[in-house]
Amino acid sequence: MTIIATVSTLIFVIALVLIFSERINRTIVAFAGAFLMMVAGVGFGFYDLEHAIASIDFETLGLLLGMMIIVAMLEPTGFFEYLAVLAARASRGDPVRLFVLLGTVTTVLSMFLDNVTTVVLIAPVTLLISEILGVSAIPYLVAEALLSNTGGVATLVGDPPNILIGSAANLSFNDFLTNSLPIVFVTWFAALYLLRYLFRAELSVPPRNAEAVMRLNPGQSLNQPGTAKKILIVLGLAIVMFFVHHILHVEPAFVALGAAAIALIWVQPEIEETLERVEWNVLIFFGSLFVMVGGLVASGVMDVLISFLEGASAIPLIWFGVILIWVVALLSAIVGNIPITVLLIPVIQGLAQDTGLNITPLWWALVFGAGFGGNGTIFGSAANVVVVSLSDKTRTPITAAFWLRRGLPVMLVTCTIASILYTLFYNWF
Amino acid sequence: MNISDCMKRNVISISETATVREAAAIFSKKHIGLLPVVDMDMKVIGVVGLRDLLDLELPDFLRFVADVDFVHDFGAVESTRPSSDILNGSITVLMKNAINVNEDCGLLRAYAMMLQHGLHDIPVVTDEGILVGVASRVDIGTSILTSWSEVN
Repeated sequence: MTIIATVSTLIFVIALVLIFSERINRTIVAFAGAFLMMVAGVGFGFYDLEHAIASIDFETLGLLLGMMIIVAMLEPTGFFEYLAVLAARASRGDPVRLFVLLGTVTTVLSMFLDNVTTVVLIAPVTLLISEILGVSAIPYLVAEALLSNTGGVATLVGDPPNILIGSAANLSFNDFLTNSLPIVFVTWFAALYLLRYLFRAELSVPPRNAEAVMRLNPGQSLNQPGTAKKILIVLGLAIVMFFVHHILHVEPAFVALGAAAIALIWVQPEIEETLERVEWNVLIFFGSLFVMVGGLVASGVMDVLISFLEGASAIPLIWFGVILIWVVALLSAIVGNIPITVLLIPVIQGLAQDTGLNITPLWWALVFGAGFGGNGTIFGSAANVVVVSLSDKTRTPITAAFWLRRGLPVMLVTCTIASILYTLFYNWF
Repeated sequence: MNISDCMKRNVISISETATVREAAAIFSKKHIGLLPVVDMDMKVIGVVGLRDLLDLELPDFLRFVADVDFVHDFGAVESTRPSSDILNGSITVLMKNAINVNEDCGLLRAYAMMLQHGLHDIPVVTDEGILVGVASRVDIGTSILTSWSEVN
């Protein structure tokens, strides 16, 4: 490796280690890392501001921003509380039924909205429901994060790695529905049953006050029904547009930003309050990762990785894909699935350019590895981090070791099922 | 007029060696909102409010769900009690730093201190920090209003 490749690798690896150690906020680490990469790039002459800006995937940022604005407007209407309260009432206080219903609501929401937002909004009501029932909130909270991670793999907009991969590989919303959704359908049920088994002790404790959930008033939790209706109509339109975006030759980011604009003009919320709820830190984290990885590309690190993979690609592509699922899953569990996806996208692109291989199956391997690998540890996905930091402020915090005992089995089972189905239906991809 | 003219002098306080359970019993028996915690020399080392004890029972969800109007029944939360470990533990765990005023403190200053720190009762101490009384918002407020009768 050349000196510049070594320097840029060092910057990236130190950033990953700091993200893993959780000593410093990951957005701050990434932002400072991007700056260091720029300094090194300008100093050694391999990277400059122009290249850095060009390496930012504005498709991904636009899609995220559009969806975040829509959710930021939906949040104060109480719609998420409303759904959770309906689920609680439908369960009639039965823990297993509540477990399945809350898991399902979270999954369906996370297929169309960002996982983090879904979990951020469902977790507090989950805590409320379990406290008035007199049962532990932990099984519900952990299951919501894991099932929303799993369900999110099904759609283009369901989780951040998919948005990244869809944008880089030009995969449409429908590509995800035909390639990813069927596999997620099977793995999601497996994850649900596995979680039901892993939490069997907690879920067999009868609630101390099952009737209390029947006295939750869903109508009262929906405090702005008119606004909620408007935003849901716009969101519905956006989803319809996602189905046909490739026919109309518009990008998903265009659809999401357009929907956000329509919702804003229709509802006209207090714009400062709405924008405060947009997760700017996530957008900055993404932007910074793009700049860092752009530096790795410019310094020639990717060429080293790609030529290493070219050597390995002597093995049949189908096995290469399965290995990729597992390597990506393990790396995602250690440093989170977003950095790993951003890092591997240029590697896979480079592999295609150099070898002329049909890399489409590899994109799907990356989707499954990043999506299901995110379940393994508390750092694996942003949704996990959200649930754990909420539980840290309660009397019964979820520890990293506890997450490993519940999340790792889910990661292993979902990755195994995904690998088997990937092999069986390989020609489909 | 200053605070020593309107404060209660028969102060109820608690020793730093007491347990949470003992403090709860004093609150109930004496029907008060604030207990100064004192050392052997009656020096104030902190305070415990009724609210600090009640926080032990409040559900976690109140920290995350701002609007609970739709929850018509708190269910199991209503019958949740603190664990015996907490009840038999030292009161100093719940103790907060005391915001005291000196016995020669003016009424408006004392009232302003209470507003600023969100207090309903304030311990009154000597220059040496010895507890001599406790004044409530009502004690201070009514004394201030009494002086209005002197205005023509």
